[in-house]
Amino acid sequence: MRRETQNILLILAGGALLKISFTGAYLQYVKPAHLPWLVGGGLVMVALAVISIGRDLIGPRPERAETPDGTHERIDTPVDQADAAVTADPSHAGHDHGADHEGEHNHSARSAWLLLLPVLAIFLIAPPALGADSVMRTDNSAAASRASGTDGRSLFPPLPQGEVISVAMSDFAARAAWDSGDSLKDRTVRLTGFIVAQEDAVYLARLSIACCAADAFPVKVKLDGEGTSALENDMWVEAVGQVQMGTATKETDYVPTLTVTGLSQIPQPENPYEA
Amino acid sequence: MTDVSTAEPRATEDKPTRRITSLEVLCVLLVVALLGQSWLTSWLDVGSIQTGATIFVAVCVQALPFLVLGVLISGAIAAFVPATALNRLLPKKQAAAVPVAGVAGVALPTCECAAVPVARRLMQQGVPTSVALAFLLAAPAVNPVVLVATNVAFPNNPEMVAARLVGSLATAIIMGWLWARFGKAEWIIERALRRLPEPQGRTRWKLFFETSRADLVDAGGFLVIGGLTAAVLNVAIPRSWVDTLGEQIVLGVIVMAVLAVLLALCSEADAFVAASISGMPLLPKLVFLVVGPAIDVKLFALQTGTFGRSFAMRFAPATFVVAVACAVVAGLVFLGGIG
Repeated sequence: MRRETQNILLILAGGALLKISFTGAYLQYVKPAHLPWLVGGGLVMVALAVISIGRDLIGPRPERAETPDGTHERIDTPVDQADAAVTADPSHAGHDHGADHEGEHNHSARSAWLLLLPVLAIFLIAPPALGADSVMRTDNSAAASRASGTDGRSLFPPLPQGEVISVAMSDFAARAAWDSGDSLKDRTVRLTGFIVAQEDAVYLARLSIACCAADAFPVKVKLDGEGTSALENDMWVEAVGQVQMGTATKETDYVPTLTVTGLSQIPQPENPYEA
Repeated sequence: MTDVSTAEPRATEDKPTRRITSLEVLCVLLVVALLGQSWLTSWLDVGSIQTGATIFVAVCVQALPFLVLGVLISGAIAAFVPATALNRLLPKKQAAAVPVAGVAGVALPTCECAAVPVARRLMQQGVPTSVALAFLLAAPAVNPVVLVATNVAFPNNPEMVAARLVGSLATAIIMGWLWARFGKAEWIIERALRRLPEPQGRTRWKLFFETSRADLVDAGGFLVIGGLTAAVLNVAIPRSWVDTLGEQIVLGVIVMAVLAVLLALCSEADAFVAASISGMPLLPKLVFLVVGPAIDVKLFALQTGTFGRSFAMRFAPATFVVAVACAVVAGLVFLGGIG
């Protein structure tokens, strides 16, 4: 692969990182704290490519003999020692045809093409945040024990005062299963998540990620009430209701049931995942 | 200095006819992709493929910045750290230098992708291969960020942190010693070890930019292969079969070790995934945490690209066996029996 092509690939890949950073789409793939890494990584990739292009354009190059396809063949002068040091390494040199003939190098030269895949995926397809399909793929029991980080019951801090309180899904599921103080009893909560219809039951679900979407795990709450059966997969809703005490047990895989008193459809939140 | 390109005459490869260059191929690919966008999007509108695509992008997006950091460090070592300085820092005897390199891994607080280019550069700068490999295995697992994450994921089992630290460090040191005893330099492709000339003055910066850029192009493609594999496996493996294992300790250890390789999670996140698996004893979870940062499909792809296939085919299985053994021993010591 020629240096020019490599540089363009780097600019595209770096640009893809910068694009999702600035549009906020990165939240569909990684946790919010990752933003500085994405911006920094993207800027460095673009900078490395631009510096390389700049040096190729203005740098002294009479000592390079150009072959018909633009391959640099010989670098002899001491001025270009550093270039020679790198281009002497055949995998790094701009040899399109070198790759065809020198067995062990070709995988290295060709592998760079793969950088195009995430670029195309980001710019053209822009995969959406994980949703119902991912939840149905993962086992149910993970959520509650993970969210509380414990396998036994313990006393949770009290919930804030108020008529209707917003609670994170993972917090809700953990309290329903493990809180020895029963802090959810007779409290009306507002939960935000998307719908997963599975085996005749309708669940409100939310995915939590620790680092990126590859390690996403679901938190589910079974919805019980009027109008829940009309809900469709991946629809984002706010559900208001009260927990049915004693529903998050080993038999239900620690999935609590919410008696729904109010449902409203909402657009997907900016950060579709819970931390 | 010797100029390698003059030592290997390439006159035979010169062809008078004009060839299609990679730049033109790239342009055609981009145009085709743009034209086929709507077709592509509709084809991808299947649940499982969409989930896979999201995970693929997530792995790439998450790991690329760490790889960038890795190649920058690697480039800086090549350009600004003379080989003699590195060797002065390390003990003379390889057997003593291996543990030092393992502990030095603390200084690179990133995911495993950053460690591969750095380890390769250390080898090029004349650091013994065994020492560089110990660093490669230790860095992603023993750094403070990972240990803190482990502590957060297992709030009721602080001994997991110590067990993970010792298990991973032991894996790195034993693999280093094994390489010093049995390893052969010819397993690593020659270009990975070729010494760069000592740069002078202004050429240092040139060398820094050039090596960083070339390393990034090289390793980036392999990172994408790893991300692709991880995404496919993530979708294809039903996590529920982990749940059915329950208390079967031996089976649990084996399954969790294999899962660590196949899922290729970031070492900062794997503790949370391990903690989430309910009804499983701590020992298999520890195996998952020790094996994952040492070897997984993403790392295997990166190692194949950086050090060559014949190296990766030997090093990866050996690492797997040693990591499982170290994790089990560390688990027995720190977790008190099968936990």
